Amino acid sequence: MSVRFLTREIGSLGKPAWRVKSFAGRPLDEADVAEARRWGERLGVEGHERLLELLARGDFGPPELEEIDDWAALYGLRLLEHAGLDVVYDGEQRRTEMYDHVATLADGFEPRGTVRSFDNKYYAKAAVVAPPTVSGPQDVDEFDYVRRHSDREVKVPLTGAYTMVDWSYDEHYAAHGSLGASAERRYDARRRFVADVAGNVIHPNVAGLVEAGAGWIQIDEPAAATKPDEVGLVVEGFNRAVAGVEAKKSMHICFSDYSALWPAVLELEDCLELQLEFANRDSRDLGTGDDDRPGYAETLTLFKKHGYPGVGLGVLDIHSDFVEPAELVRDRILYAVRVLEDPERIQVNPDCGLRTRSWDVVYEKLANMVEGTRLAEDALNSTHTAPVTA
Amino acid sequence: MEEQRARDLAELVAVQEAAELDLLSDGLLAAQDLFRPLAEATDGLEARPLTRFLDTNTFYRAILVEGQASLTAPLAPPQLPPGRWVATLPAPFAFSRAARRAVAAGRLAADVLGPQIDAWAQAGCALVVLADPFLPVEPDAVDEAVSALRELPHSVPVALQLVFGDATPLLEALADAPVDAVGVDFYRTPLAAVPEGYPKEILAGVVDSRSSALEDPAEIGRFARELAARRPARLSLIPNGDLQFVPERIAREKIARLGRARVSLRAAA
Repeated sequence: MSVRFLTREIGSLGKPAWRVKSFAGRPLDEADVAEARRWGERLGVEGHERLLELLARGDFGPPELEEIDDWAALYGLRLLEHAGLDVVYDGEQRRTEMYDHVATLADGFEPRGTVRSFDNKYYAKAAVVAPPTVSGPQDVDEFDYVRRHSDREVKVPLTGAYTMVDWSYDEHYAAHGSLGASAERRYDARRRFVADVAGNVIHPNVAGLVEAGAGWIQIDEPAAATKPDEVGLVVEGFNRAVAGVEAKKSMHICFSDYSALWPAVLELEDCLELQLEFANRDSRDLGTGDDDRPGYAETLTLFKKHGYPGVGLGVLDIHSDFVEPAELVRDRILYAVRVLEDPERIQVNPDCGLRTRSWDVVYEKLANMVEGTRLAEDALNSTHTAPVTA
Repeated sequence: MEEQRARDLAELVAVQEAAELDLLSDGLLAAQDLFRPLAEATDGLEARPLTRFLDTNTFYRAILVEGQASLTAPLAPPQLPPGRWVATLPAPFAFSRAARRAVAAGRLAADVLGPQIDAWAQAGCALVVLADPFLPVEPDAVDEAVSALRELPHSVPVALQLVFGDATPLLEALADAPVDAVGVDFYRTPLAAVPEGYPKEILAGVVDSRSSALEDPAEIGRFARELAARRPARLSLIPNGDLQFVPERIAREKIARLGRARVSLRAAA
């Protein structure tokens, strides 16, 4: 049987200036409209002339903003399709940001201000002040739009319960008596917080999406490995959030020490794969030997040793404008196959969401990712005569 | 940019002065992360892969080692009154872990941190706090961490701060470490973990830098009295880590409350 890898995004794309300015109430200039025209034509976005007319007219009320949101989602979707991905979404065009999107729509959180994430990037942070709840699923309309506008497989990214907990201030569960408290007491507070977010915020959304036809739910847990003694809570949160739903389920984690994940992640129930960041820590030289692929060796060995789950192989560094050549993507995949000795456990994706890159860079990166994946498949499918070696 | 930085520093100092803190910090306003200023001032090191920090949703750039690490030129001292300022640097063990162990902690202590500490000692630094967020999650490596500390000069008092972690398994081993004080996060460490008669000064992390909840000065005072009853060599009150993990408005209020806690503690004494 021939090898065929699925190529996917992880989640976010940058928002076009015409979308950002429209929602911020700032005036658009000719360059913004020209950009909408350029990408509309390049991606073959059907009927994009309507968007150009809308943008040129200006003066947006709620109906126009809703329409602009639809266009942004359609552009994001078409970019991913045009780059050749097998599995798509809308680049999270309708969401402010992965944390804020959930915290804003759920009851029980209050905004507290912004803090630095890295360099000069800041993010909004909220505090939990009461047990979090939602009145219903948050993202069904978003998913429904994507499903109606694409015939590709769709994967819905959702922020996970543990990350919501870890990135929130806690003014409820651990509000009093924390100074000098025992580890057990702190852990219990975290556990109750995770359980409430997973059961009362994330699960209703997951259930609603699957009922609406979503076939693949990706739980994003970038914070998963930042407190090694709490990886068990990540697992509990995942299992509770996706309990009882019939769909593919996977988890995305990034920029962490992955050695903390095992053996706890063996308890993830029916998790197809962990989609991890690797390229960020890898060499840009070609090659499929251990020394050529320092960003992959250690973690892939853990996947091999434990046998579960599958790996979503990050092959694009999302924090760099460096466009990975297809041959580099190929070698990263071939190396993973060599370590795992099972290509069926591997699928291909960027390290993380690409929202910090321009669409031009994103397009080139993704197109090369797809091309590199096909090169790897070609190499593997001809290995009955020429096996891949280091 | 420099003018803005000077204004920001002046404001930060004013907040600390108003809280009557003994030692002043420059708040690392010019530092992108704990490691980068030193990495950029050091031959043989480059700060590059973005890496999520332990225990916070913030990142640092992990250190790539490209040659023998040697401090090119010491970082400039902050514009603070001589004899009244505290400096924060990465502990050698943490620095080595940020470089994914590609360079030994002892070498970083001798060739990078040591010259930097000496330079700041000459510039009037009163205390160097070596921040270590890695050791609490790798307590079995305490011998390596202590061994690296032996490579540091003694030109100024040095504290090892165990940032955002449980110090319980480390305190005993650090009792003989070549540092003048040990910083403990009491939002992760139970009071009972501090041995009676601890032979070093305890820098008690009693303000939670990762929480938006504002501390009650009276509760801090009560806790400090309980801690003092365990008779450590000396006791100081500090935040349990950099206050960059809360919005500025909250950080200012936390500093003020730390000051009020000390005032209430003095009154009780």
